[in-house]
Amino acid sequence: MADGIGLGGVGGIGGLGSTPAKPAQETEKGDVSFKDVLFGKIDEVNSLQKEAEAAMSSFAAGKTENLSEMFIAVQKADLAFKTLMTIRNKLLDAYQEISQLRV
Amino acid sequence: MFGVMDISSSALTAMRARMNTIATNIANLQTTRNAAGESIPYRRKEVVFAPGLQKGDDGGQGVHVAGVVEDPSPFRMVPMPGHPDADENGNVYFPNVDLNTEVVSAVIAMRAYEANVAAFEASKMMVSHAMRLLG
Repeated sequence: MADGIGLGGVGGIGGLGSTPAKPAQETEKGDVSFKDVLFGKIDEVNSLQKEAEAAMSSFAAGKTENLSEMFIAVQKADLAFKTLMTIRNKLLDAYQEISQLRV
Repeated sequence: MFGVMDISSSALTAMRARMNTIATNIANLQTTRNAAGESIPYRRKEVVFAPGLQKGDDGGQGVHVAGVVEDPSPFRMVPMPGHPDADENGNVYFPNVDLNTEVVSAVIAMRAYEANVAAFEASKMMVSHAMRLLG
């Protein structure tokens, strides 16, 4: 529980960041490929964006008065997407590096 | 990843509920009848909070409104013989709402809201800074 709180703050990319840091746990769990982790995170970002969109449309339709909940949903989706883009950029950088290797 | 933000969000919702109750108290400062029209003055209400995102959540993260309770303190008695809600002695009972208390409570609720927005901003910054590690 305490660990969960500690990771929760920064651990955004938690799934990605913590895998190499804990090799003991990883071998217990079996091999989780980077691809699976990435796809899982993409699904997560997608669901957060849908959540934000639902919050925005229900606010626009006057169904809810809870401004703060909507703003926070939007911020969450925004941060999740930015994180995903950062990872994508890093991946593309790696690809570029490899494609420019001289044989 | 966004657990912290849900906590701040629950606190903002709770503070809004508190502000609603305070506004109701101030609005009913002079209300001498109840909703059914009987001569029973409005009783001051207060929001009670409990930890956890919702009822029965024993994880203890976040906050939720446990309920709205009524203040049992006595009503204000004002001698006003001409008032339609006066009793046989010419006294009118006004709600047990004290404007000073309500205004101070409103300031506290507002500051608490502000503090929670600041906490949210801090957690947002933490995620943004974490991204710098990779970018």
